[in-house]
Amino acid sequence: MADMQNQSRRQFLTFTGKVGLSAMVAKAVGINLGMVDIVSAQTGKRGVEPFRFAIISDAHLYSMDNHKFDQQLADAVAQVNAMNPLPDFVLFGGDVAQNGTEDQLVKGKKILSELKMPLKVIPGEHDWYLDMGKAWSGLFGPETWSFDHKGVHFIGLNGILVEDFWTPAGMSPLERMTVMEMLESPIPGPWGVHAKQLEWLKKDVKDLAPDVPVVIFTHGPLWDYYPRWNFQTSDAPEIREILSKFAHVMSFHGHVHQTVYNKIGNMTSVGALSTSWPWPYPPVEKPFPASQMNRVDPSIATDGMGTQFIDLKADGYGIYQHNPFEEGVLTEFLAAGLKV
Amino acid sequence: MKITRKSIKHAVSLSVVLSAGAFATSALAYPFTAEQIAEQEAALLESVNLGYNLWHGSSPDTTTVGLACGNCHPDAAASNPQTFPKYLPMFGKVVPFRTMVNWCIENPQLGKALDVNSDEMAAMEAYAFYLHRSRPIEPGLAAKQTQPIVVEAGKGFPWKPSGIGVDK
Repeated sequence: MADMQNQSRRQFLTFTGKVGLSAMVAKAVGINLGMVDIVSAQTGKRGVEPFRFAIISDAHLYSMDNHKFDQQLADAVAQVNAMNPLPDFVLFGGDVAQNGTEDQLVKGKKILSELKMPLKVIPGEHDWYLDMGKAWSGLFGPETWSFDHKGVHFIGLNGILVEDFWTPAGMSPLERMTVMEMLESPIPGPWGVHAKQLEWLKKDVKDLAPDVPVVIFTHGPLWDYYPRWNFQTSDAPEIREILSKFAHVMSFHGHVHQTVYNKIGNMTSVGALSTSWPWPYPPVEKPFPASQMNRVDPSIATDGMGTQFIDLKADGYGIYQHNPFEEGVLTEFLAAGLKV
Repeated sequence: MKITRKSIKHAVSLSVVLSAGAFATSALAYPFTAEQIAEQEAALLESVNLGYNLWHGSSPDTTTVGLACGNCHPDAAASNPQTFPKYLPMFGKVVPFRTMVNWCIENPQLGKALDVNSDEMAAMEAYAFYLHRSRPIEPGLAAKQTQPIVVEAGKGFPWKPSGIGVDK
């Protein structure tokens, strides 16, 4: 096996050497040979067909008619529908609604139904805690899911589960929701996916080969960014352990309403822009400081918001590109696209 | 005791420390009694708590779209009260913190501005400034990025926990 790997590596290096020379010649005469895909196709990954998918997140829709956030979500849908090439599908990163009411969730589904491509959704805390996900589940389906697309395994989890603080306190559903709506609420404690979903995840990936690229999608980050604002998932270490057998895992999340990038072991992690409002950066050092976007101008109503898309290559790695509504918010590091 | 330059320096240093300590003590105690000081602290925290509640949407008049200050400024982050007065492009001039508070109420929140001389506005300032206490006063420019304050737990100021959830 080791000999085979070495032989493959030698053959690969020989190949890339030739390709590299060809690329230099081609570049000199202005020809694009699409080298990245040619090289990637030879790296031994199992049949990943290059494709694009998009992420929209954190719409926080209110119940008022013609609320500005309705239009901002519609703008996000239009932005994705205008992409060229079109994404194969869209992931929505949670918080369709602000107060978890059925009318807000229905409105969100209606706006998102204008997407030209299929949609997969995970819940956020704002969607969930008025009726414990009843309306959300009726509209968007299971909160835990996985599927395979062009050689990549996609997983969505409900990462906003907290211990029951409301029953002992005799709180009403509305009181529970109000507590959960506040980012810095001292009451609920840290979110997570909890034991049942961890067991599901173990079974879901049990038979997958280690070289299958995996995308895991949760509302909060799968690392401790800033737990006070639940910029975390409490059982992320267990999730990362379950996924540790894979060569390459991509974790994408909403909730933070800002650009943020990290690498932990075999996992890259990227936060999504919201379509509602940007959040300030928390008072902690970032692993990749250049992934902090420029200061958002409060006088520009949609500054610091937008959508994002990921172009996955044949080697299973990709480029994550934020697509803000307004120019000037991305640093050079962000504008170049994040390697995931 | 032999008087040397070194011993004089030590004596002066000690004197300065003792004077500063005495001043601090007298400034705290005189002319107020411990009870009066406790009353003042309680009044301050009451205002801070009112500001916290307003910040998180307790006054319906301050919004018609559901948004409160806390939506965009958790733990008063990125409100930067210590950088005011400062020049803000939307006004084209230097403005105090309370003007910016009302700008947010009237624009993103589409609500009714607070009376700048009201107890409510004083409370909003009390909350934001309390969380930023000990930060250097740096009147500045709107473009300056500042680091949010660290709130370890609770609301960021002394309060009586409700006993619900993790806030025991």
